[in-house]
Amino acid sequence: MTIDPSLERYSRQMRFGGVGVEGQKRLRAAKVALCGCGALGTVLANALVRAGIGYLRLIDRDFIETHNLQRQILFDEADVTANLPKAEAAARKLRLINSQVTIEPVVTDIDRTNILSLVSDADLILDGTDNFEIRYIINDAAVKLGKPWVYGGVIGSHGQTMTIIPGETPCLRCVIEAAPAPGEAATCETAGVLAPTVNVIASYQATEAIKILTGHVESINRDLIFLDVWENVHKRFSISKLRERNNCVCCKQNKFEWLDGAHGSQTTSLCGRNAVQVSHRVAGRLDFDAMANQLGTVGSVSFNRFMLKFIVEDYEFTVFPDGRAIIKGTNDPDKARTLYAKYIGH
Amino acid sequence: MPIKIQIPTLLREHAGGKTTVEAKGDTVKAALDDLCAQFPALAAKIFERGEVRMHLNVYLNSEDVRYLEELATKTKDGDELDIIPAVAGG
Repeated sequence: MTIDPSLERYSRQMRFGGVGVEGQKRLRAAKVALCGCGALGTVLANALVRAGIGYLRLIDRDFIETHNLQRQILFDEADVTANLPKAEAAARKLRLINSQVTIEPVVTDIDRTNILSLVSDADLILDGTDNFEIRYIINDAAVKLGKPWVYGGVIGSHGQTMTIIPGETPCLRCVIEAAPAPGEAATCETAGVLAPTVNVIASYQATEAIKILTGHVESINRDLIFLDVWENVHKRFSISKLRERNNCVCCKQNKFEWLDGAHGSQTTSLCGRNAVQVSHRVAGRLDFDAMANQLGTVGSVSFNRFMLKFIVEDYEFTVFPDGRAIIKGTNDPDKARTLYAKYIGH
Repeated sequence: MPIKIQIPTLLREHAGGKTTVEAKGDTVKAALDDLCAQFPALAAKIFERGEVRMHLNVYLNSEDVRYLEELATKTKDGDELDIIPAVAGG
């Protein structure tokens, strides 16, 4: 049998029994929505693009900072200097890695108003996010649409992952009923995070993705995997019976409270960064030229087509064309909204 | 041999820095109560209105107690209890 020459680059992967030629063709036909392109997300994107999926939608709200380079493997110093958003910088790198894959960067904040449009055409959703608000929104969408997704979380030297097949396994809310309240849990700023932790957990997630996309759902991990790479702990916690035992609001009662807006906020304190994100959507795109003229009279401004940076007093604003802004220098959502209204308007 | 409770990194400062604590009790609740008796600062971190806080999961010999008998799940000497907080980072 002659193998399609375009698949030759995957020869070592196809020789693995679980994939084969047919599995490789399935990968090439697959579309993946990757929510978050930071630590977990860049490792996930790298793995799946090299593995030869057909289409990757990279969704991330954030821009690159120097301290990301320790663990966010697709970015480099030039990306920081160029003030690139993570989704855009990752897409450029990934296209150089594998030009066969269609990469769609989406610079936006995932919320209940856009999640369905971002994931409804995907075969699989992958978790590269850094907060439970978005994870519960993803979970609602995945269960509502019947899409598989793979959760991952990391901090310090430990991490967890589980695979969710709606209707078959417990969903995220079955297992993790609530997120820690602010101040209750360590953050990456207070506890740090090791790059190898990220790589290990994301690699588990990527393997689950390949199993699902090549038609091997029977081989997925059905436990909550817990790893601590510093303390040499590798544990599997049995969770599969939670689905039959619990009357989960999401996957048993089909009430999608996060999609319906019963929970969630418009401001998000950004984990460990003394910064708040203000989500204020505008129709069309903000006029950065006009804004720079105005803001330049009270502070220092720079901009490109992806974002506008404005520094005034002790605050640094990063404003995106859709009206969203990250305001550094405060942890207080009310203060952030006031600053936004004062300088950006609306 | 008593029950071994694995203390997550998050809570070790309230448990004298210990990774593992031995506790006595014939149910999960009794064992956790004994843990909190040894380290009173843990009580408010683990419990809220008599229930384990929702962002913490408890596993007895790697099984989720929520599909066993929850906090009333019986324990025996030598059992291992893990307290696992939800992890948000990524």
